[in-house]
Amino acid sequence: MDLKNTGVSISESSSSKASSSSVMPKTPRNLNPNIPFSTTQFGTSNLCFDSGANQSFHAYQPALGMQSLPLYHENKNKDHQVLDWDPRVMLNNLSFLEQKIHQVQDVVRSMICRREEGQFSNQANELAAQQQLVTADLTSIIIQLISTAGTLLPSFKNSSLPSNPPGGPMGSLIGSEFRSDSAKASEYEELIKGLSNAGDEGDELIKYVNACGGEGTESVLIEDDAMDGDNLPPGSYEVLQLEKEEILAPHTHFCLICGKGFKRDANLRMHMRGHGDEYKTPAALAKPSKEVSLEPAPIKRYSCPFRGCKRNKEHKKFQPLKTILCVKNHYKRSHCDKSYTCSRCNNKKFSVIADLKTHEKHCGRDKWLCSCGTTFSRKDKLFGHVALFQGHTPALPPVDDAKVSVVSDQVQGNDLMNEGSIGFNFGSTSDDVSLLDIKGADDDRGFFSPMNFDSCNFGGLDEFPRPAFEVSESSFSMLPGSYNYVRGNGET
Amino acid sequence: MNPNQPPTSILTVLSLDLLIQIIDHLLDPSDRKAVRLVSHAFLRAESLQRRTLNVLRREALVSLLRRYGAIERLDLSLCAGIDDSSLSLAVAGGAAATVRKVRLSRAGAVGWRGLAAIASGCPKLEAVDLSHCVGVGDREAAALAGVPGLKELKLDKCLKVTDVGLAKVAVGCPGLETLGIKWCLEISDVGIELLVKKCRELKDLDVSYLKVTDKSLQAIATLWKLKVFSMVGCNFVTDEGLRYLNNGNNSLREINVSRSHNLTSSGLVPVIEGHKSLEKLEAGYCFYDLEPLFLSKLSGLTYGFRTLKLDGSQISASSLQIIGANCKHLTKIGLSKCGGVTDEGVSELVSSCGDLDTVDLTCCHELTDDSLISIANSCSKLETLLLESCSLITEKGLNLIGTSCSNLQKIDLTDCNITDTALKGLSKCSGLMFLKVGLCPNVSDKGIVYIASSCRKLRELDLYRCIAVGDKGLAALVAGCKEIKKLNLCYCVRITDQGMSHLSHLEELTDIELRGLFRVTSLGITAIAIGCRSLVELDMKHCYSVDDAGFLALAQYSEYLRQMNITNCQISDVALRLLLRNLRYLQDAKLVHLPNVSKQGWDLALRACFDKLKKVKLPSELRYILSPVTIHMLQIRGCRIRWISKPLSRYEVPLQEILMGQKPQPFF
Repeated sequence: MDLKNTGVSISESSSSKASSSSVMPKTPRNLNPNIPFSTTQFGTSNLCFDSGANQSFHAYQPALGMQSLPLYHENKNKDHQVLDWDPRVMLNNLSFLEQKIHQVQDVVRSMICRREEGQFSNQANELAAQQQLVTADLTSIIIQLISTAGTLLPSFKNSSLPSNPPGGPMGSLIGSEFRSDSAKASEYEELIKGLSNAGDEGDELIKYVNACGGEGTESVLIEDDAMDGDNLPPGSYEVLQLEKEEILAPHTHFCLICGKGFKRDANLRMHMRGHGDEYKTPAALAKPSKEVSLEPAPIKRYSCPFRGCKRNKEHKKFQPLKTILCVKNHYKRSHCDKSYTCSRCNNKKFSVIADLKTHEKHCGRDKWLCSCGTTFSRKDKLFGHVALFQGHTPALPPVDDAKVSVVSDQVQGNDLMNEGSIGFNFGSTSDDVSLLDIKGADDDRGFFSPMNFDSCNFGGLDEFPRPAFEVSESSFSMLPGSYNYVRGNGET
Repeated sequence: MNPNQPPTSILTVLSLDLLIQIIDHLLDPSDRKAVRLVSHAFLRAESLQRRTLNVLRREALVSLLRRYGAIERLDLSLCAGIDDSSLSLAVAGGAAATVRKVRLSRAGAVGWRGLAAIASGCPKLEAVDLSHCVGVGDREAAALAGVPGLKELKLDKCLKVTDVGLAKVAVGCPGLETLGIKWCLEISDVGIELLVKKCRELKDLDVSYLKVTDKSLQAIATLWKLKVFSMVGCNFVTDEGLRYLNNGNNSLREINVSRSHNLTSSGLVPVIEGHKSLEKLEAGYCFYDLEPLFLSKLSGLTYGFRTLKLDGSQISASSLQIIGANCKHLTKIGLSKCGGVTDEGVSELVSSCGDLDTVDLTCCHELTDDSLISIANSCSKLETLLLESCSLITEKGLNLIGTSCSNLQKIDLTDCNITDTALKGLSKCSGLMFLKVGLCPNVSDKGIVYIASSCRKLRELDLYRCIAVGDKGLAALVAGCKEIKKLNLCYCVRITDQGMSHLSHLEELTDIELRGLFRVTSLGITAIAIGCRSLVELDMKHCYSVDDAGFLALAQYSEYLRQMNITNCQISDVALRLLLRNLRYLQDAKLVHLPNVSKQGWDLALRACFDKLKKVKLPSELRYILSPVTIHMLQIRGCRIRWISKPLSRYEVPLQEILMGQKPQPFF
């Protein structure tokens, strides 16, 4: 299968290049085995889930097979050959499923027969074992079905897909009865856990206890512009780091039965009601209670998984992010393609949809234009700018338009802006490039050197959750205009 | 030299510069005209000597600019139909290279293209007047910003100029010294603040009627060269803002804070304290009470303080006494519509201020002859006395004024109910130039005879509703006062064609109002049209006895007519069209209630003059009758159309008209 397992590859490369990588070496994923491992790694999409499923299917086939059917073994190799969407493979998969279903049918039928024969008492143990078997088989059928369906999804066909590092000892359990006693924690299990895990976001994290607690000097380096003036000295808080797959996952909660994804666990629980009465009980609908610990919860701060980023814990002047939402917004704004384009000006792009919406509220109103090409949303800002620079004047809309409209003004402004920022607009990749491709690019470390990144850290790329459309003047410092004030301009 | 000139002519002997010196001594335009018609030599000399050019027709502009090579002041405010293309054509090729000042006031059809042409064609340009060009906006201002040497700019009532336009000017013309942005309602604090940052040379600034606040005042206070500051009707400025003006510069000479309702008189105290050399203070309709602190601080001003205008305030006798004691060198005092002004107060004031030459007591209803007596006794230098609606005064006081104030040039006795005897007393002021006796029904021909017999310099006479005045009075007037330029005979209903034929001898008459003279027919109007060739303004509202013959005469002879009111006249389609087409300089026409004009007549007439009209009053029903093309043609040339929906009232004399009929006279 053509599944790149990005998550794995990152961690592998990190560990191999310990000096350069910042994410992994100090943070073995299994540092705290009690924390259930992330579900979101599978959750970027159905496909992710699918890939995970496939992989785990193969990797842990033996474990499953021990309790299950030989037929499954026979199909294993065929599964491996699935490189892409292939009708032949699909047929194989489907026939496998069919057979499997027949087998389960047989088992159940035999159970019915035995019940009718009245052989309950002496065969209770056997019945329990059979029941377990049925459950396990059904689960595997579901997964196989989903994975098969997943290969059909076109947009993810060629994507690299995240997966787990193999062999990580995954300790946590799930409510699935079928879970084998085997000491080997399988990724298969992990997948199942992922499907059913109702843990909240905090549990999805790779925990990392800040190792640099002793380095007191760093507190000096933390600058004031840390979010909300929240200047915690390093070490006074716990630093958590999500993987980018987790950050970018649209859904973090999946229905065990139909595979549908949800952003909130509560929504999933509501959804589950449709799958049967057993999900309608107050217990099933209740919010899973967290472990109540007596000691106060440690302050949590988050690190961006992008190496070289100021928000990455390896950075010299590391500034932690306060909440998961901050992490998500920061990562999307700073390290992802801007795939949302404003439909009004067809120019501004955003990676966070909320930013787009905020922009669209103001788009077309940003009509205050300076002769140097800078636009302002407020007149007093423009006039402040004009007052500051010799020779700059407020610009008028283009002359020959008889109908001098704000719109044309806006378009002109945006053209200029485009001109100004195109040099380092790494978000300028064409729209059809998917998020996943950009992730691939991320792995190419040279592509965004930290320096490069800093130099174009303007406006929308700012890690602060402010409206990203506000273009600062510095973005025009490279404008190929005939003004002598470019330098001064950039300094503001 | 003209070869046809006889060789003995003195002109062949005199050199060009001597001719120029001769012309230098000729001040009257008509004399000059006579001189340049004498010979080519004088024509050439005049073309070299002339510095000022007032063009009335756009067709003449190009040739005039070519002929006069040394023009410095170009006045196009009266130029009919001036527009971008004619301007560009005229100034192209360096024809206007010497021009320093351009007046384009009320040139509605001039846009940014024309201004850009001027900016590039007149490199020495220093002053531009665009006041009342209501269509002028930011783009025009931007065109002016291309004149870096601009020192003086008037943008009064350029309604579309915003902060952006002001910023353009401010950045483009850093040497600006005089700027008027009165009524540019779009301009706000931001624009003013930028202006102040960029134009540090400003000496004269008018921000009247802008919605500016104390922030602007704070900025303006940093203009250390500011001498004249006008902020009439700035209702968002408070005393706090005025406090900023106390900046230790002592630069202000004149300040006008009239009609700024958020000010109190004590708010002016910091201004007075900070600018001891203040010469002129205007604070009319601004605050009700004058606080003692303000009055006492007036004493801190230097002897240069000459003008104080406190119209519409409440001023007691003691206040006037303090003003008199503190400002002994006042030459002009304005107490128009002030409450509480009594004879006692006036006498206290004038007894201290012997230098007064202008006293405005308009609508100080309580005043009697006692005031006039004290004025006559104290103010021997009196030149202007405004007493409108001081109905208690009699011939006794006015007689004394006539005796004592021999320098009197202007007196307003509108609605004072004076008699012929009073005019007899006033006629002793032989220098009288402006006389207003409107709404004095007791003034008759006899009184006019007194005036005409001695006041030979009379320029302006207002006989509004002096119903006792008839043709005889006009005959005497014409015989005595040849220099009359402006005459108001509205509703002097006794006047007939005979009177008009007398008036036709007033060659200098430019402005005549004949409202409601129903005895005047086409004959009289024809006489006026033929005789008064300099006529510029004509008001014939309600002259419904005049028919097409009169209007055709006007169309033929009154070629300089610029402003015309023929509301409620019996004019036909043909005459209206001919009138509007032939009057080349016509700019302002009031054409309401013309019952004999048809729909087609309106269309044709208005199309005949669409490119020269700047202002037109039309009946509101025409809005839906006229073809939209005509309306558009008018408007696109910058013509403002006012749609009047007042019902026709032939005999009615509405109170409003009595009030509005009095055009405000320039006071100081």
